[in-house]
Amino acid sequence: MHPMALFPAFVAPLQSGLVPDGGRDEIFRAIFVVFLVLGTIVGVVVIGYMLYNGYKFRDRGDRDGEDGIDRPELGELPEGGGGGRKLALSLLLSALIVITLITWTYFALVDVETRAVENDDTLNIQVEGYQFGWEFIYPNGNTSDTLRVPEDRTVRLTVTSRDVFHNFGIPAFKMKTDALPGQTTDTWFQPNETGTYQAQCFELCGAGHSAMNANVSVMEPEAYEQWYANTTSDDAASGNATGTTAATAGNATTANNGTTPA
Amino acid sequence: MTDSSEPAPDGGYAGATDELPAATDEGGHATTESHGLPPYGSVKRWFVTTNHKDVGILYTVTALFFLVFGGVLALLMRVELFAPGASVLSAIGYNQTVSTHGLIMVFWFLSPFAFGFANYVVPLQIGAKDLAFPRLNALSYWLYLFSGLLLGVSFFQGGTFSGGWTMYAPLNIPTYTPSIGASTAILALVLFVASVTVSSVNFLTTMHRMRAEGLTMRRLPIFTWTILLTVWMMLFAFAALLAALMILSSDRLLGTTYFAVTSPGGSILWTHLFWFFGHPEVYIVFFPALGVMAETFQTFTGRRIVGRKWFIAAMVLVALQSFVVWMHHMFLTSINLQIKTLFMATTIGISLPFDLMVFSLIYTTIKGKVRFATPFLFTFGALILFIVGGITGVFLGAVVLDYQFRGTYWVVAHFHYVMVGGVTALIGGLYYWFPKMTGKMYDEFLGKVHFVLYFIGFNLLYFPMFVAWETPRRVFEYPEALTVWHQLATVGGFILGASFLVMFYNLTRSLVDGEAATGNPWAYSTTAEWAIPSPPPLENFPGVPSYRSGSLDFLGGSGATDGGEVTDGGAVVARDGQAHETGTQAAHAGEPESHASIWPFVLSVGAFFVFLGLSGLQEGSFVPGLAGDVYLALALVGGTITMGSFVGFGLEHFHAPTGPFGESWPFEAVENTKLGVWIFLASDVVLFGAFIGTYVFVRISAGWTGWELVPGDPIPGLMNTYLLLTSSFTVILALVAAEKKSRWGVIASLTTTILLGIGFLVNKGLEWNHLFHEGIAISSNVRTSTFFLTTGLHAAHVVSGLVIAVYLLARAWRGAYLDDERPIEYFGLYWHFVDIVWLFLFPLFYIL
Ligand code: HEM
Ligand SMILES: [Cu+2]
Ligand SMILES: [Cu+2]
Repeated sequence: MHPMALFPAFVAPLQSGLVPDGGRDEIFRAIFVVFLVLGTIVGVVVIGYMLYNGYKFRDRGDRDGEDGIDRPELGELPEGGGGGRKLALSLLLSALIVITLITWTYFALVDVETRAVENDDTLNIQVEGYQFGWEFIYPNGNTSDTLRVPEDRTVRLTVTSRDVFHNFGIPAFKMKTDALPGQTTDTWFQPNETGTYQAQCFELCGAGHSAMNANVSVMEPEAYEQWYANTTSDDAASGNATGTTAATAGNATTANNGTTPA
Repeated sequence: MTDSSEPAPDGGYAGATDELPAATDEGGHATTESHGLPPYGSVKRWFVTTNHKDVGILYTVTALFFLVFGGVLALLMRVELFAPGASVLSAIGYNQTVSTHGLIMVFWFLSPFAFGFANYVVPLQIGAKDLAFPRLNALSYWLYLFSGLLLGVSFFQGGTFSGGWTMYAPLNIPTYTPSIGASTAILALVLFVASVTVSSVNFLTTMHRMRAEGLTMRRLPIFTWTILLTVWMMLFAFAALLAALMILSSDRLLGTTYFAVTSPGGSILWTHLFWFFGHPEVYIVFFPALGVMAETFQTFTGRRIVGRKWFIAAMVLVALQSFVVWMHHMFLTSINLQIKTLFMATTIGISLPFDLMVFSLIYTTIKGKVRFATPFLFTFGALILFIVGGITGVFLGAVVLDYQFRGTYWVVAHFHYVMVGGVTALIGGLYYWFPKMTGKMYDEFLGKVHFVLYFIGFNLLYFPMFVAWETPRRVFEYPEALTVWHQLATVGGFILGASFLVMFYNLTRSLVDGEAATGNPWAYSTTAEWAIPSPPPLENFPGVPSYRSGSLDFLGGSGATDGGEVTDGGAVVARDGQAHETGTQAAHAGEPESHASIWPFVLSVGAFFVFLGLSGLQEGSFVPGLAGDVYLALALVGGTITMGSFVGFGLEHFHAPTGPFGESWPFEAVENTKLGVWIFLASDVVLFGAFIGTYVFVRISAGWTGWELVPGDPIPGLMNTYLLLTSSFTVILALVAAEKKSRWGVIASLTTTILLGIGFLVNKGLEWNHLFHEGIAISSNVRTSTFFLTTGLHAAHVVSGLVIAVYLLARAWRGAYLDDERPIEYFGLYWHFVDIVWLFLFPLFYIL
């Protein structure tokens, strides 16, 4: 459909080995650490150099002209100013660092993005935000206010909102996406340790925003299967979860991801 | 006038040019009544002054007031955040505090603070006696002040806006933020945008047209360059914001449904509109700070900016690119990977020119004679803060990381490092220009104390936020483990606040009994403001400033400077407000400039009441009960005052600077008022562009082909197309008649224009009435909303045009415009523009 659609396929071979794979938290951590280390080095060097210059060239009270340097004068017309070479070099160096870093992370981005859509083995859950809470809708139509997922399986979330703009995030899994009324967004995560985690809202949505949380329970796969088998659709008439979402999302267009004017 | 050998750039028009096209007088009466500016000591002076230096001081002081206002709100939040959980503020109270803190700091403090300096310094740096339209400058200020007061009032109308400074939809509509105060806050922003637009037109005209001889664009001081680019960005970005806010106001007051949950794509629509403005806004607030850094680095290192040319080129690049990065604020919405990639690339692209600027500033210190006086301490510190802000920004540019940082304190820390880093530089600017603006020296020791407290407070406040980045933004709940970082931040916040007490004490003390400042207290400063006394006399220069010889001279005056020398002695110091009447400048001006008018103030009072009144609207009618009556009355009283002051504006004899000016590239052939009209129309193009873009966006979201056109019948629209086209033609006839000195020709053509315009409105009224009878209302659905609001906005333009036309007709009746037909020409520009807009609207809303 679009030439760019081939792009992920094209870069996929390149990224093996270069970028951390695994859960999103691992990807995030690996990249964050690299940025933090490099960022600190660059910051310390540049600021250190500034301070050093500031000290080295502090005014020692020499009279003008003694050092043979031409100083600016009141009322002069500014010149273009030299130093272009030095600036260009510094710019090149910094551009190199920045562009390399970003390009590197871009492979991880492509990875994260493609995993949001790929894979038949994933568990699909719908998430609906409302003022002020979250509802999770399972393929069988069961709804719950706790997100229960099995360990070690990719969970794919389709997120929307019933009212205002929310944002659904689970900090522990480094996963976050907007919850928009009338639209859906897709995201995924892969929990690899059982336990209880917190999901939160990351977009100001009204008085209850600060406390708009939900529990996320990562279960042993068997326990999960058992729990899931015992749940039923809340809405007996419809085994079709998509129908439910569309109705609750204010009968606007759902899954219309391409609405941005390109 | 001057011994300039250049021909007068505006075609040799002698006599006064008034500010508004409608106000150009037939004769050019040399009235003295309007430039009798009261002395400094008089309170009245501050209400009537139109002088750029006075207005600059007003801006500075008012902005500092809003800094305190926003700062108190910030401290309230920091107290609340001392421990997790609500303790001081209620939940909704916290949201209101976050929202108004952001709004006040970004809109009512940061830009106006910079524009205090811009007002004061830019005309001095470019060698102009005042801005092109001094009364409009005063108007900008008063609209700014009253918009801020309106925001203040909103707190008392059932609570102010609580949806964050980004005002995301649909939380921003009354369904979710029902208080009247929320509407008032939005309207206050609209009024603020009006102020910005007026001021952008004014600054652009001034800076392009009124530069001293020899001061070509390439030779402009960097501070002036930053303001120039800032204002260009403002002109377009704020027009987009205006469109967003008008649509939002209409949703809130008239009941249109652009952002309703049921409207497809409403949330995303807002994010596009807001961030198309919002990203340029980041540079709009930062550029002036950059300019102050460049000026002070040059002065306090005693070195010329390294790679000045590249520095300027980098800024131009950023200004252009700033309009193509907005979607990086939307990485978590449903936009696809291709678009994300594109905007990631543009974002990285825009960060690189900043690297160049930072290096340029750093290299400037080499071989310098660096003196860490207070202004330089602040700007040097600002550069450090900006570097930290920049590096942490690269983290956000990496989209995978941004996914995590979005909505957390990482963002909060980052943008405070950048924005408040900018504030730091501007504070440096305040110390730098304080002696110029007041004629008094501040206390250096207290200045240094301020800096030390400030810098420690700042970093203690914001650095821990990086550490505690996992705290979600705009919440008062956070994990226990992060408490200690938030407590450090709160302590830092109070230290930062206290540092400002030192500054306020220092500056007020110095104002009263500080040492007198010389004309140029800084060694190695180069720009023209330092070549004149502190504070400068009312007419600024002792002669006509010129750079023809390669450096600054004042031609035809007494105290010419030839570089290096401090020129304080001899020149008149207007401290007592008397000297200006007898200043040497009077000799140079063909017509003495006016410096006083009460109408900008009165008009703004009127606008304040109109907007306050409008806030009482809901779903197109005033709230029930006594309150509704009060709101209605306020709107009516305000409307009367506003209309009255327009007339007052028009009838006043006011003499703006007329030139001839030295350098006017690239607008040598375009007279000031005409250029002003052009620039204004450019912003109007963006406004309509945003409305039309919105319509297209909404329609695509809903499905382009399934969209039913609102007017079932295109005939009324077609008739209106003919009416408008004909009326454009008759305006041309009026112009021709004026050139031929035919009074009756002018009267007849203008009358026909007006009749055709009225015909347009009547026809539209009938059409709308018909639709209403069919039960089609503005609030029915998003189809009707876009139709009525967009064509309604156009109709409002027609109405304004007719008001001007009636004014022109009245003047023409008494024989005006036969010697000078320019007002008709300028009106024509506007009228043709309105006509062209209709040529876009008609097919979009009636045919396609
Ligand atoms: C002086 C220039 C400042 C500017 C331009 C500025 C700007 C902003 C903006 C735009 C926001 C976002 C508001 C929103 O999310 O709707 C914000 C939030 C905030 N600011 Fe400032 N601010 C400034 C100074 C301060 C100071 C001095 C403090 C502390 C004493 C402070 C503390 C905060 C806090 C706590 C938040 C809330 C963060 C959040 O939860 O998102 N700010 N500021
Ligand atoms: Cu929320
Ligand atoms: Cu941006």
